[in-house]
Amino acid sequence: MVAEGTDVLAHEVRIEARPEIVFAFLTDPDKMTQWKGDSAQLDARPGGVYRVQIGQAVVVGEFVELDPPRRVVFTWGWEGNDAVPPGSTTVEVTLTPDGEATILRLVHRDLPEEQRAEHEGGWKHFLPRLAIAAARDNRGSGPGAG
Amino acid sequence: MEAALRAIAEPRRRQILRLVRDVEMSAGEIASHFEVTRSAVSQHLRVLKDAGLLAERRHGTRRIYRIRPEGLAELREFIDGLWEIKLATLKRVAEAEEKRRRGR
Repeated sequence: MVAEGTDVLAHEVRIEARPEIVFAFLTDPDKMTQWKGDSAQLDARPGGVYRVQIGQAVVVGEFVELDPPRRVVFTWGWEGNDAVPPGSTTVEVTLTPDGEATILRLVHRDLPEEQRAEHEGGWKHFLPRLAIAAARDNRGSGPGAG
Repeated sequence: MEAALRAIAEPRRRQILRLVRDVEMSAGEIASHFEVTRSAVSQHLRVLKDAGLLAERRHGTRRIYRIRPEGLAELREFIDGLWEIKLATLKRVAEAEEKRRRGR
């Protein structure tokens, strides 16, 4: 992970595939579920809504910007979760060609400005995700675990 | 990690972590913020300590607590790791498709 600030997560990965191919994995439901989510409904156009089920949780958001095959911006939040409600955080994915490959950079910007000073901010953002991950992990280890 | 996840799953324990985020507090001071019994609070403190999220020191007969940043850092790394794992999978499937499209 590349640190950018306390409430920004940034990741970079080099993919041996052209940006056109990578882009489809961000916007096509059948392709998305190959790497994220158990089921996905994506209306990949500006203002279009998406829903991705990850375990028992549902990520809901809106596509803000699409610039194939270079850039996708979408909002990110958990359905029915007051701490990180849909629309409250934003993810930006940029694809930069590198020869025949692609450098994918993902930046997750999280909390609204007014919440930044609030020291609970980090937890509000992380806990729901953590809880979901833990729940998944827990299910994986069989009934009665945890 | 497992212990830390369990520790912060409980709302009161998260509240304790917030209380001692910037200042040290004795068990009594922490307990005064809660309506539950002192022994219930002690139990929460023990869970947090065992999970590596709280540091404890003794001052006379009192036990003083403060947050343990290393423990929190571990949790944060775990969360960051979620995207990393997802992106690693994306890399794998996109590369497989690129190969398939190009044929042999």
